[in-house]
Amino acid sequence: MTVDVGRVRLKTLVMAASGTFGYGTEVPLCDRRLLGGMVSKGIFLEPRGGTPPPRIVETPSGMLNAIGLQGPGVEALIRDYAPQWATWDFPVLVNVNGETVEEYGELACRLDGVPGVAGLEINISCPNVREGGMFFGNNASSAARVTEAVRRRTRLPVWVKLTPAVTDIAEIALACEEAGADALSAVNTFVGMSFDLRSRQPRLAFRTGGLSGPAIRPLAVYLAHRAAKAVSIPVVGVGGIASAADAMEFLLAGCKAVQVGTATFVDPNAIGKIAEGLRQYDSGRLDPNARSGPSI
Amino acid sequence: MWVLGFRAAPIAQAVRAGQFVNLLLRPGPLLRRPFSVYRTDGDVIEIVLRAVGEGTRGLLDLREGEVVSALGPLGRRFQLDAAMRRVTLLSGGLGVAPMPMAAREARALGLGITWVHGARTRAELCSEADGHDIRWATDDGSAGVLGSALDAVPSSDPGHVLACGPNRMLAAVAARWPDAQVAIETYMACGTGVCLGCAVPRRSGVYDRACTEGPVYRAGSIRWEDLPAELHYAVTA
Repeated sequence: MTVDVGRVRLKTLVMAASGTFGYGTEVPLCDRRLLGGMVSKGIFLEPRGGTPPPRIVETPSGMLNAIGLQGPGVEALIRDYAPQWATWDFPVLVNVNGETVEEYGELACRLDGVPGVAGLEINISCPNVREGGMFFGNNASSAARVTEAVRRRTRLPVWVKLTPAVTDIAEIALACEEAGADALSAVNTFVGMSFDLRSRQPRLAFRTGGLSGPAIRPLAVYLAHRAAKAVSIPVVGVGGIASAADAMEFLLAGCKAVQVGTATFVDPNAIGKIAEGLRQYDSGRLDPNARSGPSI
Repeated sequence: MWVLGFRAAPIAQAVRAGQFVNLLLRPGPLLRRPFSVYRTDGDVIEIVLRAVGEGTRGLLDLREGEVVSALGPLGRRFQLDAAMRRVTLLSGGLGVAPMPMAAREARALGLGITWVHGARTRAELCSEADGHDIRWATDDGSAGVLGSALDAVPSSDPGHVLACGPNRMLAAVAARWPDAQVAIETYMACGTGVCLGCAVPRRSGVYDRACTEGPVYRAGSIRWEDLPAELHYAVTA
């Protein structure tokens, strides 16, 4: 059951979302036969240490995270991971990040033609970095500038991961399409905050974090739907998917495929179970009321 | 403090002292909850816990025969060898969790064991102990030495120190015995190395993962000042 998202051919409809599957080498319990593709942990040109702990806090039906895009930098990614990706039977996209438009362009150039890299997902929506990140994603002209800068420097398929923290996601989606994006991922985490009543301080050291998990699902379905209606390029839905029924909602909203993130933290084989569930839905055997997978 | 046992043969057979399991309660909060394995008995693993939030309350409400999902054994274990001759197992509060297994492994190696355990009050002490020399401490002096578990360590050579407890206590352990092995508790999501949520700041300047490179570390390798002094659990989910 393959699906083409622009020029990227996914093995199934269900991908692993950036930041929830490492570099693809860390989730041995995921059934890779059912993994449609994956997006790597977000990468910068240079290594980054990330934010101090506490980095995560659980909230009702969700979690806040502020990891701060900890990572080894693009050269280590190319050296240590891309050669393994080249041997896998599902596509790996690299989630690219910069503090300036030029850095995004530089990363695109560096990753162009690297065997094992099937495409780029531009992250203009990370709420957990001080420079760049979400700030490029929250208006149409800067979103378009980053997309263009990447488009000009690579022949790879270019996806843009949108932030939900905007007044009109349709306008940003359209700006990315016009700037040359091949597809959109909708949406990244929602900025959130939680206070500890004893210390009277935010529970995350970074103070704010990105909210993910089932708590955001209806919000994400709506925004993915808005984006999909606005553009003619494919939209990949992401946000709180924990079961095949959840994934179906995004497909019904107009998405071409889905990404699963936080659910993998709960069940390392969440993706396998969701992909299997979608297969049953296709053949009319999925109970539309079966909200939850076997363990989520 | 309560001990819960789960039949989990593959984990019980593989787990070593200091390793943990990540438990999922359904219905229950979204994320799993990590616990050191307290003891094994045949096919059964035991954890020790107190109701500190939604997850632990739900686990303590389980009835015999109910099923939870357990991932494990996870993380790196305490490293013991016969050349150590004597170990001191030093724990504060729920930090007693990995110590019974450590004691069992130390006995198998023929090591002398000093068991030192502290809590706020006599009522909060873990009553189970395993060692040739057993010492207690309480913050209010209601049992054992008045003070922290560190105050109850005999003045003679403690041998190799293994410690687990609140970060404040482990920081004091690091100052006194930098070569001690400490098992650190952090907030955690996946437990398998992908979320990077359980960051532990190392003296080398990097953050690594309690679930994968830890939870057992050389005490002197941690930047204690960059870890929260205590973890609060008040998740309503």
